[in-house]
Amino acid sequence: MTTDVFESAVPPSVAPPRSRRLSKRFGEAAAGYALVAAPAAVLFGLILSPAVLAVIDTFTIVTPAGRTFGLDRYAAFFADGYSRANFIYTLNQTILATSATLVVSFAIAVFLRFGSGRVARTVQALALFPLFVPAIVAAYALTRFLGPNGLFQILLEQVGIRGFVSPYLTPVGPFIGFVWEAIPLPVLILTAGFAQVSSHAVEAARDLGAGPLRILHEILIPQAKRSLLVAFSLCFLGIFGSFTIPYALGPAAPEMMGVFMQRTYGQLLKPDEAQVQAVICFMACAVVGFLYVRLVATSKG
Amino acid sequence: MTTRRQFLAGAAVAAMAPSVAFAQSRTVLDVYIDGDTNIQDLWNNVVKPAFEKANPGLTFNVTVTRGVGAGNGTIAERALAALEVKADPKVDFFEEYDPRRPAGSIDKGLWVDFTKSSIPNASMINPASKDLAQRLAYRGSQVLIAYDSAKVADKDVPRTFADLVKWAKANPGRFAYGRPDKGGSGRNFVVRAVHEANGKDPSIFRADNFDAKLADERFGKAWALLRDLHPAIYGNGAYPPGNTPTLQLLANGAVDMISAWSDQALQAINQGVLPKTVKVVQFQDLALCGGFAYSAIPTNAKNMDGALKLANFILSKEIQTAVVKEIGGFPGVSWENLPADLRSAYIDIIPISIPSFPSGEWNQAMNAGWYKNVATNLAP
Repeated sequence: MTTDVFESAVPPSVAPPRSRRLSKRFGEAAAGYALVAAPAAVLFGLILSPAVLAVIDTFTIVTPAGRTFGLDRYAAFFADGYSRANFIYTLNQTILATSATLVVSFAIAVFLRFGSGRVARTVQALALFPLFVPAIVAAYALTRFLGPNGLFQILLEQVGIRGFVSPYLTPVGPFIGFVWEAIPLPVLILTAGFAQVSSHAVEAARDLGAGPLRILHEILIPQAKRSLLVAFSLCFLGIFGSFTIPYALGPAAPEMMGVFMQRTYGQLLKPDEAQVQAVICFMACAVVGFLYVRLVATSKG
Repeated sequence: MTTRRQFLAGAAVAAMAPSVAFAQSRTVLDVYIDGDTNIQDLWNNVVKPAFEKANPGLTFNVTVTRGVGAGNGTIAERALAALEVKADPKVDFFEEYDPRRPAGSIDKGLWVDFTKSSIPNASMINPASKDLAQRLAYRGSQVLIAYDSAKVADKDVPRTFADLVKWAKANPGRFAYGRPDKGGSGRNFVVRAVHEANGKDPSIFRADNFDAKLADERFGKAWALLRDLHPAIYGNGAYPPGNTPTLQLLANGAVDMISAWSDQALQAINQGVLPKTVKVVQFQDLALCGGFAYSAIPTNAKNMDGALKLANFILSKEIQTAVVKEIGGFPGVSWENLPADLRSAYIDIIPISIPSFPSGEWNQAMNAGWYKNVATNLAP
């Protein structure tokens, strides 16, 4: 979003033929900058500058002799097996849940692209429904549904299937919660992406004898590649930083970084360690964030 | 359309209405409550009507300070300031407050000494609650073991911590306790393990004697104990995130035994959230932790007589019974002062002692250690 705003404010690099147009252009640019000044000031003043200060803090070591800079606090984080396990667990959960979400959303989006009528409308409504359910409600509902002796287990037992092991309080619990919560966003992005795929191209391919798989592989996926990548990065960022779902559905240990950070900060009262954890999370997300920003920026072409 | 004049006239009447009600010669005490909604409800719906009935001409107004600044602490500071300038503190009664704050307020004579004041019912107070003379215990709560009597035979009901470990291992997956940092029911179970591993002597943990090395040594022994129990816990060592999720595991039959707050468990049984077959029991060798809630009265209260009457009233059989029945709390008075049928219904949980564990550094070190040494499946 922000990128779009900034970009539209930048005057194009083509040289203007006349000075009158130049001054008009300059006026437009100034108005643009004036418009973004307020949100930019808030962004810098309330978000970026404290973040930068906090990052500098994590490199500062206060000793009786004075302040020095170093990576000691990061070394301490990675030297601690428990913290490391939490970080790896968070990465694992995020990658697995993001991949699963994308597969499911892709299937739904393809169906919505070619399906029509009441079934398609129902599927669309169902796929978007989680968007309107707060995570805490979803977590509670999933606990009741998938929890021990929950509705799912009772239904299974009705048809004679026994031995169901509830995913509640295991890593599978938050995984299911993530996928359920995350589906709407990629579905929206991918349906928008597929809408741009020309029906003529698909029909032409069909006329030439291409099967559904071939159409998927040679027309849909290449054309929706950018949408897929955008959906991937947004999903990844959302799941990586989640709190409620892993808190309510996940195991006590290992913890997702969001839960771990909150506990370190609020319960163990170690804000300096929580800061280091936050910066490490930020670094991990920055890689994916960079991908997203680049995609959005280049999409202007 | 209402004219401006009509509006003003209406506003004037509206503004006068409360003062008309006020003018009826009833003394209104100012009661400050810092407690949760269950306590607020108890005071507004049970204590207030009963108090008005028993004391014609007296009533009280409840002000809730929960979540506002430092809660009742702010009001106590105001009372101390009022004492120094001899003004009306605008507070007659603190539902729950620790007069140790503001520092020095006891020495300055801000608080009523209940051993020297005329509160007849104070003689019935449970001696286990003994604290400062300026504190009046009127209710309590304690963590205990809740179990489903339909699944756990009478002879197997654990009466000691060691019994419980034995039962849990013999019935793997049927016992659960919550994460220690997410609720008192889990925390005080872990505390009990710490006590078990350290000579069952709660007095060695004090708010002012924390020592990191000592903590490692004492907690280390408890971790061995809990780690040994870990595989026998529900879900091969899954710990629910809080008091309520733990109760839910018992409610839906996923486990047969948990640690729980007495008030939450008893209320859940009364409301049918937990099955009627659920019973509660306290360890007889050393109880799980808990504590009393203490009221306090500032000496400069404008309506001192009324405040003392209120203090006496909340210790009456009527209100003490309500504390047990309405909020599942423990009475502040000794149990023998309650009706016999109520006493026999709660015979298994009447505490012999109510140990406590300091918050602050000991607690933080314990929670941090539990996550690293008990909950995780990493090699220690």
